Amino acid sequence: MKNNLVIRFLIRLAAFSLVLIAVDRLVGFALKKIYFNQRVGQFSQTTYAIDSARQDIMIFGSSRAVRHYSPTIISGISGLSCYDSGRDGLMIPYSTAIEEISLSRHIPKLILLDISPRELGIDKTKYEKLSILLPYCEEHQQFIKYIKEVSRYEPEKLFSKTYPYNSSAFILANNSLFSKSVEKDDNGYLPLRGAMTKPEVEDYIKRMTVRSKRIRQNTELAEAKAVNYLKQFLDNAAKNKIKTMVIISPTILNNAFYLDNQTLERDLIEKIAGEYPNVTFLDFSTDPRFNYHPEKFADVFHLNKQGSEEFSTIIAQQIKANL
Amino acid sequence: MLFNSIDFIFFYIIVTILYFVVPHKLKWVILLAASCYFYMAFVPIYILILGFTIVIDYFAGIYIENEHNPRRRKLLLTASLVANIGILFVFKYFNFLNLNVDILLNKFNYHNPIPYLTILLPIGLSFHTFQAMSYTIEVYRGNQKAERHFGIYSLYVMFYPQLVAGPIERPQNVLPQLRIRHKFSYDLMQSGLKMMLWGFFKKLVIADRLSIFVNSVYNNPDMHNGTTIAIASFFFAIQIYCDFSGYTDIAIGCARTMGFDLMRNFNRPYFASNIQDFWRRWHISLSTWFRDYVYIPLGGSKVSGKRRYLNLFIVFLLSGVWHGANYTYIVWGMLHGLYSVVYVLIKPYLRKTPENKIAGALMRMGNIALTISLVTFAWIFFRAASLHDAFTLIRNLKSFGARPFIGDGVSNFAQSVLAIVLLFILEYKIEYYPEKFNFFSSPNVILRWGSLAFTILWIIVFGVFNGGQFIYFQF
Repeated sequence: MKNNLVIRFLIRLAAFSLVLIAVDRLVGFALKKIYFNQRVGQFSQTTYAIDSARQDIMIFGSSRAVRHYSPTIISGISGLSCYDSGRDGLMIPYSTAIEEISLSRHIPKLILLDISPRELGIDKTKYEKLSILLPYCEEHQQFIKYIKEVSRYEPEKLFSKTYPYNSSAFILANNSLFSKSVEKDDNGYLPLRGAMTKPEVEDYIKRMTVRSKRIRQNTELAEAKAVNYLKQFLDNAAKNKIKTMVIISPTILNNAFYLDNQTLERDLIEKIAGEYPNVTFLDFSTDPRFNYHPEKFADVFHLNKQGSEEFSTIIAQQIKANL
Repeated sequence: MLFNSIDFIFFYIIVTILYFVVPHKLKWVILLAASCYFYMAFVPIYILILGFTIVIDYFAGIYIENEHNPRRRKLLLTASLVANIGILFVFKYFNFLNLNVDILLNKFNYHNPIPYLTILLPIGLSFHTFQAMSYTIEVYRGNQKAERHFGIYSLYVMFYPQLVAGPIERPQNVLPQLRIRHKFSYDLMQSGLKMMLWGFFKKLVIADRLSIFVNSVYNNPDMHNGTTIAIASFFFAIQIYCDFSGYTDIAIGCARTMGFDLMRNFNRPYFASNIQDFWRRWHISLSTWFRDYVYIPLGGSKVSGKRRYLNLFIVFLLSGVWHGANYTYIVWGMLHGLYSVVYVLIKPYLRKTPENKIAGALMRMGNIALTISLVTFAWIFFRAASLHDAFTLIRNLKSFGARPFIGDGVSNFAQSVLAIVLLFILEYKIEYYPEKFNFFSSPNVILRWGSLAFTILWIIVFGVFNGGQFIYFQF
């Protein structure tokens, strides 16, 4: 009797598992189709950066890369084609992963890495977010080592064909159903609209000052793994003899890294960049053309269209002078 | 070991199979060994602390039962309680107390010579300490026979499904079950697995999704305006419920698959229409622990008005202290104490629910909304890293900016809102229509399997798989 019950349970469990696997594959197949048929939005940008980008200038970084560099302006002034592979919320490990895959396909003339000192701080989310590489792992095995940063069992989880699209459903649905209302990117560049106001900046200064007092006693050093990713990024460029510019783009305050207790990480970026002869380090965080200019910022972290166009012009002139 | 990890899934499958395969007399050995392994997956050395309290309480139970002199019985009980609370004090409260002594002495320009302990708090210490204490108290009261089998007693304290975050069980419920010959039950197995699935859903799809937004706000209390803080605080109220009740569902479900019946810990607390009702529905095993071992011994409600209010307040204050060595928890407990005292005071003057259906429903909705608001306000203290942060958040609550922060993209925020809506629909159904739309147990196989497969896929598509540990593990 007892054995019959166990066998009955096991048979039903096996049958249910088969149904589940079938449904998972079906849904996974549909999501894959939708994902790789995206024509707008950040998924399509990532797919393009990974599989197709062959421009002379490749830009890497996080949201500040996506929002601050206009390839049209840079191309117009420098005479070189340009693509912005940055992605919102992603940091140096992601930049290194995308750079590695890009360089295996194409060697650009120049690489721009937009980096913020925050990226070298201790923050496990920068690794968790590497899960956005999951849809590409089937085609690009090089990404497996990066997704292992998300969790130890990440490669095994890929047995599920739906899992690579985890947390993407809303964006996929939005970009597919309302593609007309989704803002089109200009070679990966997506400027932010709107402008900050003076009271907003004053309020921000006040909050940052309070915050700085609170976090001043934190003496955490830069995270070794993140530093290694930065070095790996620069090593990859150096190995391929690619001129590289490591850029800290403008901030609304001229002492943002001091208030955020990140001067150590900022100096470390400069020091590491200085170890490579092919690398130029540019820090615009104290540039008076941007500091305390709310009309050039959409929010406290990002330039708006006006600010990013002005900044892109400055960068393009630097490129023209250096190349 | 975290329930929401791949390691746990392997562990659970192996332990459950072994449990049913081995002869009855060895089942406790399997469960005890598995529980030790489960606990040692966190910090192995801390198993010794558990071992220490187990030895003390095991012998205390036997000595108390054998002792007929009331004074000596009381002395033995006190010794056992002091040992348990002493360990809890050393690991959980010593550094906090020392810090306060430090601050006080500094004010008078004295140096505090007592060094700080460089130790981590063992996971779930408060839970198994309370469970162990309930054993010696029940033996002392004569409600429970002392357990002579050391292995069975150890398993009572260490039973892995409820070892690190409860439910805080009573010996009368668990000890007899550890001796029963549990046979494989198809019904219990499937009902337990479904309960675990629902627990995983609450943890991965709701709690961990909401935590992304909550963390981004609460980790930067100075940076946000009132609308954002209000949203984050409400999200936290839902997050902590789904996190903790999700854990409990997995624990109860996991135990049920092996034939064990653990006590209920939650009963849809956000449908409570007053603060007393809330505490009858929230963390029931802890509330009843405090009721049975603190509130009633203090005189409960059978004492004069003022004393009763004081008793109520003390219970909630202790509940706050139980949660952690931080003023935030103490204030949280005091707030709930205050709410409860005020409720008892005004209860005789409250209007009864009108007979008119619509008016009654509206009144009930209003009461639920008020209860949620009070509870959510108290959660601000619970979630904030310090009292300073909590007051900063409360101060900033007044500044309603034009643009609320929505966190890391619209997608995450939208998924958070969807998760809350889903939870509400499901809880509403269970609260008001418990017999209807039970798809998980529908006699129609397509509906049953379809709903189960849909839930699992929903977890895969919308779950957060790197959300980390359960909030209550830290206690």
